Amino acid sequence: MEWFRFALSAALTLFGLFVLVSAVLGVFRFRYALSRIHAAALVDTLGILTMLCGLMVAQGFSDATWKMLAVVGFLWLTSPVASHLIGRLEVTVNDDLAEDMAVADPALVREEKESED
Amino acid sequence: MARLRDDWEHSPWRNFLRWLREGDDALDRAMIASLDAPAPELREETAPEAPALPAEEPLSEKRRRRLRAIYIALSVLLCVGIIGVLVRTAGSLPSFGGAENPANNEVSRRYIEQGLQETGAVNLVAGMILDYRAFDTLGESNVLFAAACAVMLLLRALGWREGGTELPGHEPHSDIILQKISMVLVPLILLYGMYVILNGHLSPGGGFSGGAVMGAGLILCANAFGIEVTRRFFTFRTFQLVSLFALSFYALSKAYSFFTGANGLHSFITAGTPGRIFSAGLIPYLNLAVGLVVCCTMYGLYGVFRRGDV
Amino acid sequence: MKDGMLAGAAGGAYQVLYEVTLGVIGVLLLLCLVRAIRGPRIADRVIAVNMMGTLVVIAICTLAFLLGEGYLVDIAMIYTMLSFLAVVLLTRIAMGVWRGKHHSGAQGV
Repeated sequence: MEWFRFALSAALTLFGLFVLVSAVLGVFRFRYALSRIHAAALVDTLGILTMLCGLMVAQGFSDATWKMLAVVGFLWLTSPVASHLIGRLEVTVNDDLAEDMAVADPALVREEKESED
Repeated sequence: MARLRDDWEHSPWRNFLRWLREGDDALDRAMIASLDAPAPELREETAPEAPALPAEEPLSEKRRRRLRAIYIALSVLLCVGIIGVLVRTAGSLPSFGGAENPANNEVSRRYIEQGLQETGAVNLVAGMILDYRAFDTLGESNVLFAAACAVMLLLRALGWREGGTELPGHEPHSDIILQKISMVLVPLILLYGMYVILNGHLSPGGGFSGGAVMGAGLILCANAFGIEVTRRFFTFRTFQLVSLFALSFYALSKAYSFFTGANGLHSFITAGTPGRIFSAGLIPYLNLAVGLVVCCTMYGLYGVFRRGDV
Repeated sequence: MKDGMLAGAAGGAYQVLYEVTLGVIGVLLLLCLVRAIRGPRIADRVIAVNMMGTLVVIAICTLAFLLGEGYLVDIAMIYTMLSFLAVVLLTRIAMGVWRGKHHSGAQGV
């Protein structure tokens, strides 16, 4: 039983490490910031889920397990908002956006940059 | 650097000086003049201009160079003097790890061995800083309060941004996605901050860290919903009242050490069963007071630096 | 959270596994720092800082298991909150600075 628990936890942790390494690799290899957001979001969702699930399996049921579930829940709530805000920042600040990628709706980009709210 | 009031010329201090210099008749004349003076205008909604500084005559080149040389010489002298005093003091400290050093006496063993039964706090650090050494923590809270007062005096007195509601610079209006998430998150963060404050004597945490978390929750609220919504429950008046009462409660609980010495009085609030939340004597209440001061200070300093008013 | 978890037969194996994890996370943190320094635009830097925060949260939770101290996960929670708040404020200020530079005179103070 002990070894089964260890095998499960090790499988989850090693998969989580693979996800983390691919995310960092993606952040290095992609060329534009908007693509790097996709790579970075791997860490916040799948990476932390598998790593913390591996830790929870290793610990059994204790106070720390529920707290780790709360950490994962909080991160899942806030990480998409953070990515959205970073995307908005990139669209507003970057002046060469149209040269790097195909902009589907230039009017929206202009409105983002110039709205006087 | 406080702003002069509009009726400064007729304030009690100036009237007293005038009476001192010129006698009773002058005082009567000044009072009649103050009644006839026009009332100060109501402040308009648009921001007033910055007050104009008095014009100065430019210094001549030679005088400027001489002043600069004197300034540099005095600065170097002051720095060398302070460095000399510090080096001399550090040289006469006892050697590191010596047996008779105050850091190695029997006090730390007493804290570790009897801390739990004397203070009732499972978290020995909280027991030390809020029970054995509560007087030192009072000093720290006062330092925090003094820093907040100094920042408020300097930055709120700039006048033309008082009560400012506009966003500093040209910042974008708040995002709807951020607002929807903050409706869920801000109460959770404030609740978590209260948990960290109240559990200070049971697990690592306490007033300072829990107060910082609550301050961060308030900062998120101000960012997501705008300053008007946050001002519905946190104004400068709230900042003043909460800081004052929390710090006064702490001071009144522990300031008797001035008179009774380091051991303090025997507390009639019993230590209770260790591990329960209402144990450890006064420590939960002191944690609460410190946490509230830290929360108000964090949010107040953020507001003052960003838009000139809390 | 007891140390008995790590003292049993599988205890040594858990120790090795999670110490390797901590090492790998350390290396990944350094690489994210390189991206934060090199990234040509501010959005790249904010992405890297956000990712560093999440990696640190994973490292804290791993340490909480290795040392057997359950309350360290509270610190991980606080760190998550702080990194989210940092992203919110950084993007707001960066957008404000850019619009201030390009709209000077359009809006008063």
